[in-house]
Amino acid sequence: MNLSEVTERISRKLEAKGAQPDRQKIESRLHRLVEEFGVNIAEAERTVTGDLAREYNLTGVGSTSTELRPISEIVPGEWVTIEGKIVALTPSLSPSIAQTGIIADSSGAMRFVTWTRANAPAMEYGRWYRIESAVVDEYKGAPNLKIHSGTTISRMEKDVPLLPSITPITELKSGVGSVRAKVIQDWEVSHDRMLQTGLLGDESGTIKFVIWKEDGDGPSQGADPAAPEEPLGKEKLSLDTVYNIFYATIDEYNGRLSLSLNTAMYISDEGDIEVGRNETEIQGALVHVAPGSGLIKRCPVEGCNRTLSRQNYCPVHEIQPNFRYDLRLKAVLDDGIRARNVLMQRDVVEKLVGITLDEAIGIAESNPLGMDEIFYRVRNAVLGRYYTCSGGEFAGRLLVDSCTPITFEPAELAALLNRAGGEPA
Amino acid sequence: MSPQAAYEREPARRVFASELRETRYQFKEGDDEKSPTFVLLPSGIRSNRIFVVGTLTEKQRQGDQNIFYRGRVVDPTGTFFIMAGSYQPEAMQQLARIEAPAFVAVVGKPNLYTTPDGTCLVSVRVESISVVDRDTRDLWVLDTARETLDRLEAFGTTEDSKKAQEEYGTQPDVYRKIAYDALTQVQL
Repeated sequence: MNLSEVTERISRKLEAKGAQPDRQKIESRLHRLVEEFGVNIAEAERTVTGDLAREYNLTGVGSTSTELRPISEIVPGEWVTIEGKIVALTPSLSPSIAQTGIIADSSGAMRFVTWTRANAPAMEYGRWYRIESAVVDEYKGAPNLKIHSGTTISRMEKDVPLLPSITPITELKSGVGSVRAKVIQDWEVSHDRMLQTGLLGDESGTIKFVIWKEDGDGPSQGADPAAPEEPLGKEKLSLDTVYNIFYATIDEYNGRLSLSLNTAMYISDEGDIEVGRNETEIQGALVHVAPGSGLIKRCPVEGCNRTLSRQNYCPVHEIQPNFRYDLRLKAVLDDGIRARNVLMQRDVVEKLVGITLDEAIGIAESNPLGMDEIFYRVRNAVLGRYYTCSGGEFAGRLLVDSCTPITFEPAELAALLNRAGGEPA
Repeated sequence: MSPQAAYEREPARRVFASELRETRYQFKEGDDEKSPTFVLLPSGIRSNRIFVVGTLTEKQRQGDQNIFYRGRVVDPTGTFFIMAGSYQPEAMQQLARIEAPAFVAVVGKPNLYTTPDGTCLVSVRVESISVVDRDTRDLWVLDTARETLDRLEAFGTTEDSKKAQEEYGTQPDVYRKIAYDALTQVQL
């Protein structure tokens, strides 16, 4: 850690409170403490932050904070005091972590972690606690509350019902969120530890969800029936059902969000949702036809549908001689500014290339090049041409519902001529 | 961007032959061996890939040990020199099958070289080439004119265009005229 980083952090903390600190002043004070007085950097940071907070008459900055803060307003880098309800406890992944989960108040929710070294009392699911002097840092792009040895935890007797606010799917960010959404796809799990995965949708859009298996499936048998129960072992969601999902964890991977329901509480809902299609339209030249386009073979095992290799090998179900044929096109549509991956399924490809699946099978089975022949035909029909594609964007590619060739518009030519010649050359 | 940010394919820029011919400045982004190489187009944008539609007027097979094909693709403003060698077998075979003259769409990487007598040449290493029709050629002229005009409108406001101003002393009106002349060759 160097002093300018610390300076930056201190001034941001103060600026968040509306002050306009002089960075040079902060740095020179830090410098003086560290260089001349041999104070360690963490201590110097605390001292300078505290001094400046007093000078600017600010509260809630640095370790001097005992002022109660709403969870939704907390940003990484702060020391905070909050009151909240434990709405989720998740199994600890490491011996240095005593507890992890989600704490919520009426304004929002946040993940927390209690270090084993903190020697803090274990918090119970469903209870309210006052947590003083915890540190908020950033974990996986979202604020995360850290409970350390300097944090004071006290259990509160209050039990205010919390009504989490529902966020539209397209507005979710990394962290913790609640949605009202319908299960629109149930996918085969790709991992032993996965209980269920699929796609959830609401009016605004769609998001992938995952439920991981937990130790001890089925609800836990609490000794004291009156005690709030810690939910162990999650239930699966049913397809085409609407759920209210409270306090799910939202993770980001490769720029895409997914919802983990292990921290969440979910209850089905009578209503229905018209799922937003998230329709995107793009125009451009088709500049690349990727391998795996044209005629392909798919695994016949129900619910699998994976693409088989040339030797009819499915990565999950091994050799499948009774495969199904399919037509598809994986390509790049490029407008000169951005190159985007597009994926077209059989009906779109049939129309675009002017060949049906049955014809393609016939050609492949009687041609020495086999399936390659179809690849070349598809490629020669579409490569280098201009198209308008519309569809839903998912996992970094556009799943194309409709694709039409762009046609020459004389009006467009006239407009461009005006634009190019509009000013005196 | 985070280190695990998804890979983004470089877009294929639209550029007229007479602009590409003026290109002299080439640079690499980052120190990595695999970092992309860009040329700086005079209208003020970096380009690692271009998309061209024109008429293939000539095609030649060259070399004995290392066979490669050269070709000339003509647009309304001038000529693109394209080549495809054995490092791009797919592209080379595609080019080998096409008989000139034909309307072709070419996706490729622009490369600069200097001849022994000091002249700087730009050639396009073909990634893919396919036969298209006249409509596609007309659409490309419109598309390229539009993107050239867009770049000229932003000229002086972007990093790349400031660099282009430094390297080439670009006069936007020259390229606006090129776009205009190209458009007049499209038949209504």
